Amino acid sequence: MTEFNDFLKRHETWRPLIIALSIIFIIAISHKIYWETTTETNPGEIWDGQTFSIVDPGESENQIWRIKFEQEVNDEIIFKGVLETSPRNEVYQNFTTGGFIESEGLVYTEDLYGKTMLNVDGMRILVNGNLSGEFFESEIVTIRAHLVENTTTFQNGPNDVTLIREGWEAEPEDIQLASDTDYYFFGTEVLILLFGTYLCLKNMKHLRNQLNLIWHLAKFEFNSGMRSSRMVILGLFFSLFIIGIGWVLGDMQDADPETSFFVESGNHALLQFCFFTFFVVSLAAIAVSVDSFHKERQTNTLNMLLARPITRESIVIGKALGLTMVVGVPAFVAQLIGLYLMILEGDIPAISGILAFLLFGQIMIFTMVTFQFCFAVAARSGTDVVIYGLGAWLLFAIVWNLLVYAISFAIGIELTEGFETNPEYQTLASHLGLFNPGYVYQFAVGLLTHRTIAIDMGGIPGWLVLLALVLWPLTCLRASTWLFKREMKG
Amino acid sequence: MLELKDVQKDYRTYRFGRETGRINALNKLSFSVDRGQVFGFLGPNGAGKTTTIKCIVGILNCDSGSILIEGDDIEEKRLHSKNKIGFLPEQVGLYGGLTPTETLKYYGGFYELENGLIKERGKDLLQKLGLDKDSERQVSGFSLGMRKRLALAVSLLHEPEILILDEPTSGLDPRGVKALRAVLQELNEKGLTIILSSHVLSEIQEICTHVGIIDKGKLIRQDAIAGIRKEVKKTAIKLSLRVRGFSDSNKKQLNKKRGVSVIEETELGKHTRLLLKLKENLIPWVTDTLVSKGVKIFSIEPQTNSLEDVFLKETGDGND
Repeated sequence: MTEFNDFLKRHETWRPLIIALSIIFIIAISHKIYWETTTETNPGEIWDGQTFSIVDPGESENQIWRIKFEQEVNDEIIFKGVLETSPRNEVYQNFTTGGFIESEGLVYTEDLYGKTMLNVDGMRILVNGNLSGEFFESEIVTIRAHLVENTTTFQNGPNDVTLIREGWEAEPEDIQLASDTDYYFFGTEVLILLFGTYLCLKNMKHLRNQLNLIWHLAKFEFNSGMRSSRMVILGLFFSLFIIGIGWVLGDMQDADPETSFFVESGNHALLQFCFFTFFVVSLAAIAVSVDSFHKERQTNTLNMLLARPITRESIVIGKALGLTMVVGVPAFVAQLIGLYLMILEGDIPAISGILAFLLFGQIMIFTMVTFQFCFAVAARSGTDVVIYGLGAWLLFAIVWNLLVYAISFAIGIELTEGFETNPEYQTLASHLGLFNPGYVYQFAVGLLTHRTIAIDMGGIPGWLVLLALVLWPLTCLRASTWLFKREMKG
Repeated sequence: MLELKDVQKDYRTYRFGRETGRINALNKLSFSVDRGQVFGFLGPNGAGKTTTIKCIVGILNCDSGSILIEGDDIEEKRLHSKNKIGFLPEQVGLYGGLTPTETLKYYGGFYELENGLIKERGKDLLQKLGLDKDSERQVSGFSLGMRKRLALAVSLLHEPEILILDEPTSGLDPRGVKALRAVLQELNEKGLTIILSSHVLSEIQEICTHVGIIDKGKLIRQDAIAGIRKEVKKTAIKLSLRVRGFSDSNKKQLNKKRGVSVIEETELGKHTRLLLKLKENLIPWVTDTLVSKGVKIFSIEPQTNSLEDVFLKETGDGND
């Protein structure tokens, strides 16, 4: 306790934020406990627990089949899970009655018309209504379902079969997006975080003065950057590339669906646009920031700067903001033009997705700039500078997939044909993707093309993507500031 | 005005934030500078002059000890202290793509000076430092002297109370040195406290009112320049003589006398050039002795001691 108090004393300015984060951590645990205690978070396990038996397999032509769960009839469970398939494709219509479908555990009868068989993490729940357009694939939902028992007969070859079936059923109004509850928790956490940050900022001395200096430095970096020949060439290159890709992605939506050049929808085109934007913009962000500190050290302008009444933190933030603007402003304009051309040729993506594409693009650039700062601060020579910069870009933009393949192979995932649809591989790739700012950018834009953040993105929930999106720039900024302070301490 | 108390500083080398080496630069350094002084900071290469200055201006953080400006610890009031200091580094770093006007606007922005004020003060400073005609030229085309003058303008823009200059005349031509000296004297007359480090001792002798000598990160001497001059007079002087008929026995006789030593003997054909170190009052004894032994003296030239002698003596590089 004394040590904790000492820690708080040493970090007096940050105390409100430390307390806020501790409270948020407690709320996050409570959030997890809430779901674990109020819902069944592993519906697939319940489904796998069902037993199928043939009660009377005797000589008679009538057979009795029984499908039974471990739970009692009329038991009620609130399930929480991911919609594995689109409910639009799971509505019973245009089918032939009388057949027994083993995977769904029921016989097709006329009374199924207009009902929806949801697939929640592999669990089948029959909903007494048409959910087409109400819920979508990959959404995380909660369903209050009852175990019911009914009996149907059907012809199975020469035999008359009586099926005594237990199955989970729910009413449409018993289904909700998990985010309806999540938002209360997340909202509280965000409010506490904002309050903690506000108190922290209030504690900071000379905040307004330092903010002015940050902006002053950022403007200077922006003006210098925009005038540099390196940026003129890079800016022209990546702007034309982005605009061209936007036009091509729009055009590809009209391509033959059988060809590999076909892009399914506006939202899919937007995701691909994210990838290509990251591909070139990250290179530009690294290129402009890679020798920022090294060059200043070489030309002795850094000492002139350090002697001014500006903190080390403000120097890093100011430079990061300025260089982000150097790449971000032309990138933003190019993205807008590219989007216009894409929409002109194809579908309009979700508006939230478009906004995320533009806004998160700037966050991604800031992240790459601050990431590169960590190396730029440590660079001792021009060679170091080039190696670090190029290495970072190659890792994130080019060889990342090879790295994922290597790790998959190392942990025993078979990389045979079609392995990319293997759920195990997808889960690994998604989790590793959180360590690549480019993928985080894509995930986050993809997430916001949906109406909720309660989305399963190949094994990772949407909120985790947003957390990664926030943590990446903050971590890189903190790391670069720390390294800069250490280096400048002498 | 400025006080350093037991300032300790080690240089550390890092690789990605990990410490890989450490060298001691300042070893419990203490000294003080009063308002209105021109304080000369002397020391051999690697003595810790630049490190001390970097600690004062906030480029480096000292490991222990304290630096006080008007009683305020700069660690606690770093930003406030930086506002009171103007700094001219030895290696002037300016952005080549900017003009002097833009340079002043950029650096002035860190003191939150209004653009109008920067323009007004900048114009005055550029005129005073002879850069007014080049105010719209890019700095990349400037000579070293012009850059130094521009950097000096930058350091004076916010009207600091202390001006710190690290080797201000290095790289300047004699005219530049003279002009800089005139500017510094004018500023000091207006009440600005000036601290300058230099290895050009004549420069310190010319400008400074007080001197501090540092060696191996420690202050070994601090005094008013007048006090040092007084001491110089008290100490031994050098006497250069051109003689004929000087023998080894004469040399032995001179060296035997307390307070006299022959430090150099050079044969110049028929003549011999002697360099003696002796107390000023022993000059008559030397000439009398030599003449009485038949040595002919053709010229005699006393060499007064300079600050350099004191400096070399203090830092252990003197002859005695």
